Amino acid sequence: MKKNKNIRMILLFLVPVAFLYISFFIYPLAFVLGTSLTEWNGITEMKFAGIDNYKKLLTDETFLLSIKNNIIWALSGGFIQIPLATMVALILARKPKGWKTLRTIYFLPNIISAVAIAMMWKAIYNPMYGFLNAFLNLFGIEGHNWLGETATALPSVIAQTVLYIGYFMVIIFAATTTIPKSFYEAAEIDGCTTLQQEWFITIPMIRGILVTTITLAMAYGMRHFEATFLMTSGGPAHSTSVMGLILYNKMDAFRLGEANATGTILILLGTVVIVVIRKLLSGRDAGSDSVQ
Amino acid sequence: MRKITFLVLSLTLIVAGTVFANGQQEKDKEIVLKWPSIWVGEDSKAGVVAQLVEQFNADNAGMIKVEVEAQPDYDGYEQKIRTSIAAGIVPDIFTMKLNPTTKAYYDSPLLMDFSKELSTGWGKDFNEGTVAQATVNGMVKSLPYEVAITPVWYNMDLFKKAGVSKYPRTYAEFLDAAAKLKAAGFIPTSQMTGGSNAWTSMLWYSHFLASFGGPDVYANPFGTDAYVKAAEVLLAMYSDGNTSMDAIGGDAGVSGGHYLAGESAMFINGPWYIGRVKTEAPAVYSATEVGPAPAAGSQKGAMIGFLQTNFAAAANADDPEKAAAAVKFIKWMTKAENVAKISAASGAMFAVKYDSSSISDELMGKFINASNDASFTIPHLEGVVTSDVITEFGQALGKMALGEATPKEFVEMLKKVQDQ
Repeated sequence: MKKNKNIRMILLFLVPVAFLYISFFIYPLAFVLGTSLTEWNGITEMKFAGIDNYKKLLTDETFLLSIKNNIIWALSGGFIQIPLATMVALILARKPKGWKTLRTIYFLPNIISAVAIAMMWKAIYNPMYGFLNAFLNLFGIEGHNWLGETATALPSVIAQTVLYIGYFMVIIFAATTTIPKSFYEAAEIDGCTTLQQEWFITIPMIRGILVTTITLAMAYGMRHFEATFLMTSGGPAHSTSVMGLILYNKMDAFRLGEANATGTILILLGTVVIVVIRKLLSGRDAGSDSVQ
Repeated sequence: MRKITFLVLSLTLIVAGTVFANGQQEKDKEIVLKWPSIWVGEDSKAGVVAQLVEQFNADNAGMIKVEVEAQPDYDGYEQKIRTSIAAGIVPDIFTMKLNPTTKAYYDSPLLMDFSKELSTGWGKDFNEGTVAQATVNGMVKSLPYEVAITPVWYNMDLFKKAGVSKYPRTYAEFLDAAAKLKAAGFIPTSQMTGGSNAWTSMLWYSHFLASFGGPDVYANPFGTDAYVKAAEVLLAMYSDGNTSMDAIGGDAGVSGGHYLAGESAMFINGPWYIGRVKTEAPAVYSATEVGPAPAAGSQKGAMIGFLQTNFAAAANADDPEKAAAAVKFIKWMTKAENVAKISAASGAMFAVKYDSSSISDELMGKFINASNDASFTIPHLEGVVTSDVITEFGQALGKMALGEATPKEFVEMLKKVQDQ
């Protein structure tokens, strides 16, 4: 009797969340999947097109380049941004003089609009009046059109994003505060250097959080859109194009079937990348799952 | 005494109740039209449009009320309209750019067809050919309103400083002037490959298409000779220092910025930019002459002209009174005297016949002359191809300008998207 009552209570609490989840995630997801198999402009009737949209996308050079760029974005997030954030978090965890101010400074960009940051960097990269070229000129280095050359456009857009480590730095920093001080004291007695302490104590102890932040950063990379849209519109010559931008352009051209096929591929690829990275990084340590 | 007091109170309540009920009924009868409008905030038409709406509401008090929903962001506005229509919700009144992509709106039964209304005499208020341009399969689901031409803007101060007395009419004159401008330290042309449509360069390309292909250039299959020749000239604009270093990847802020700063001598944009030049760069404003692009092909004096903004409305098939109210408001907005007011205040040009003598702006006068002097007018490329072709235009142009594609390959890239 009591068990039945408990089940009823559980269901009662679950229904609102389940309703919201189905309405705002499951249903739209099913709709995207369904319409990705149609030719549809959003105004007239849908026409079933089978897998035509997928075939079209997967034979389109720009789309394939966009997948590659998204993977570069994901890898940059996971393996440049997170190591940078970890490094700073570990330094701040040692509480050097002014660490609180530094923590705030590092986090500050996270409360500024991504649009404002993208615009600021666009100005910094401007080949005629930008700060970067002016700075390089001081050392006799000739100016460069950072966002206007295919070789430098993608690294330039990625750089302005991965440099902002504040969000991940705060998460990793918080994790370091849970490590008992006695571990470090014992290590010190044993003659460990600071670097050894970080490598053999801190990193293993926060491994779960590191896997989580790497996963998050890579997920952000897979669905990246804003900075590219604002800074290069995918150019020059599609060199900075990403799947999110392709999706946006397809929607803009009323090719909603293709847009939704792009969205589906984006979801699938994102899932694959996340699953693979979690398998690779957390496979050896089942205990770390509990932290994640 | 008590009885009298009770009687008075009861009467007061009855009278008050009746008055309130009548007021409520009046209010219930009032038709409210929602208009998500782009002409708000800093827009040059905002002030006069707000006055006109206010006056319309005052004249129709208790019957029709137009409520403006401010949407100052152009891209955001277009997105809002698109998603609304796709979701089956059409704003009571809205404005749109008519192009091959947005012509899909005409397939929606939710949009009002103005053709019947126009046939009752209203159609005569519009300049010849403009209603035809907005007609698709016999339906006029968007009403031509603002039109524009986009001549080349020439900063004659820079030309004079470079030792050139008049702006170039031919390609040979252009090359000569460009060499002198560069020698004097100026940027010959403003260009851009960025933004959603590489606007400035797309307009340059459209001018060259007109010069090579004539008035029927768009009637020819995409990718014919004129398209390649125009691309060759556009490539020349990006070569040998004929444009700024930041043109590849640059957006409208870059191309316009160089002209406003008095750095580039040639630039292209529509009349809506007059106000900005006048306030932000008065010296450039005074020095500006407008005219056709240097004739690179056999056709001279061509102009790029197009329907800039059309009015549209919800069909409101189940609410004929609301539909009639929307027509009444749009008729008010297209009234010659009202259009003249907006034109005088903003410098914009309209598809409606109106007396433009009240326009005192010197540069606007030059625009009108340039329009009148044009040997022929064609729309810009963006007006005749779908939006994905224009998205590709900026990318293909970047590739060509970087030397990674030939003019022929540039055209093939566009054609590939067009054929899809």
